[in-house]
Amino acid sequence: MSGAYLPGPAASPTPFPFRARAALTPSPVPPPHRSPEKGPGMKTLRLMTVGGVIAYRALFNWTTPGMFIGTLLVGPLFQLLFFAYLGRQLQVADDRFYIVGNAVLTASLACVFGGTMAVANERRYGTLGHVLLSPRSRTAVFWGRVLPYAGNGLLIAVVTLTAGALLLGLRIPVSALPGLLLVMAAGSLACGFFGLTLGALGLRFRDVWVISNVSVALLLLLTGVNVPASGLPGWMVAVGEWLPITHAAEAARRLAAGDGLAAAAGPLGQELLVGAGYAVAAAALLKIFEFESRRTASLDVL
Amino acid sequence: MSTLRLLTVGTLLHVKQISRSPFEIAIALVVPVVQATLAVYLFRSSGEQHRLLEAAVGAGVMGVWSSVLFGSGGAIQGQRWQGTLEMIMLAPRRPVLVVLPITIATGLTGTYALLATLVWGRLLYGIRLDFAHPAAFVVAAVVCVVALGMFGLLLAATFVLMRNANALANTLEYPVWLVSGMLVPITVLPAWTTPIAAVLPTTWGARALREATSGGPVWPSLGICLGISLLCLVLGGFALTHVERRARAAATLALA
Repeated sequence: MSGAYLPGPAASPTPFPFRARAALTPSPVPPPHRSPEKGPGMKTLRLMTVGGVIAYRALFNWTTPGMFIGTLLVGPLFQLLFFAYLGRQLQVADDRFYIVGNAVLTASLACVFGGTMAVANERRYGTLGHVLLSPRSRTAVFWGRVLPYAGNGLLIAVVTLTAGALLLGLRIPVSALPGLLLVMAAGSLACGFFGLTLGALGLRFRDVWVISNVSVALLLLLTGVNVPASGLPGWMVAVGEWLPITHAAEAARRLAAGDGLAAAAGPLGQELLVGAGYAVAAAALLKIFEFESRRTASLDVL
Repeated sequence: MSTLRLLTVGTLLHVKQISRSPFEIAIALVVPVVQATLAVYLFRSSGEQHRLLEAAVGAGVMGVWSSVLFGSGGAIQGQRWQGTLEMIMLAPRRPVLVVLPITIATGLTGTYALLATLVWGRLLYGIRLDFAHPAAFVVAAVVCVVALGMFGLLLAATFVLMRNANALANTLEYPVWLVSGMLVPITVLPAWTTPIAAVLPTTWGARALREATSGGPVWPSLGICLGISLLCLVLGGFALTHVERRARAAATLALA
């Protein structure tokens, strides 16, 4: 499901560099502009945000308009419609259950595959060694990469919920919208860190795409988005508790039902905890696998 | 005879090649099983216990479609990336005869999905494989796979013209599952989807398999499925010849 990588033409040497010609007509040199010294916190924040955006543009294979719209906007909408109509036919739950749940779940596509691409594509394109040679914290580098994917996931979830609600006639209270946005952001962030954890496995396993494809399919089943928890076996519900989206979908359903933010605060907090857990797990796995890759000289072995 | 031999040997070659890919096999086996599990729990929750076999078959057909969609859609692009497209097009046979085995092979590897969901349902959920027409089910499964392979040829020929063909493949998975009535009956969908469903071979293939499973006239549905697929084969053949000539004239055969 990953898109194609098309290397550009090799850069040719420029016979008359612009700098050399400019040097023939000297101009007064302006005094050097010194930017105020940034603290370590600001530097890390810059590394995470700017680095994250650059990595997103370089490594996410689905940023072309065709791929973005087809794979990330239209595909998830049809996923929502498929389960909404299946739910209507089987009468397991109402439209709200399927529309809201699936809308939150659609964020997982960009986040899980994005997180995988954030690490696996570095190795595929032969740039992983350069990243690991960086003197900065790799944890900050890789955590920063989750942010654009989480933003992307949030956008997909919002578009899918809006389109799904309009097409299927679901009314959501206006007062619930800020809360829904917050919940979907939390779900996207948790999913992004989950994707990064899977991406970390890309340092160890040859074909990480199998893991991400299977994980996306498992999220459909285990998060309780399409089958109510009462209809699933206990062990599946227990596994779902540790997965992203499960609690976010629950919180979003409460908000869409007009229960208010207070009713959704519990599941929202649980979703944030799950996300934090995956953030720590991803950082730990990346450290371990980086160490192992260096020790066994297997960094670029595909 | 030589054409039949070409198709058979070509299909076997490509089935072997796809079956060596851990990614293809894992996706063909695991993802449909997850979807079948989801379908089983959904049908159980709604009290439709008697339709569990139908659900397992439906999930299996969904897997066959995914295999054809991604396999056939990317067939030519895959050959291009492997550097074997020029050799295929240089073969002294019509392009359709060389590419058709690839798309039928994707349908055949899709049967892993159908078998996996049935075995999974039997072993884990004790679904009894009581087909209303067992012999017709086997025939319908074979015809359905070959028919989808022919449909895949049209996809392959069409997708090669598009720069972002894999985006279209990602987009088409759920709509075809939905409109073809693989799990959701067509009757619950909006009326405007009916004509679309009627021209898709997947609709009639899924219907034939469902009728062989739960009872009903299998052969008319299967005949329509085969008829539409043969039409797709003819259209795909013309499209492929057109694409090949255009690519040769513009010297863009190996370019994406």
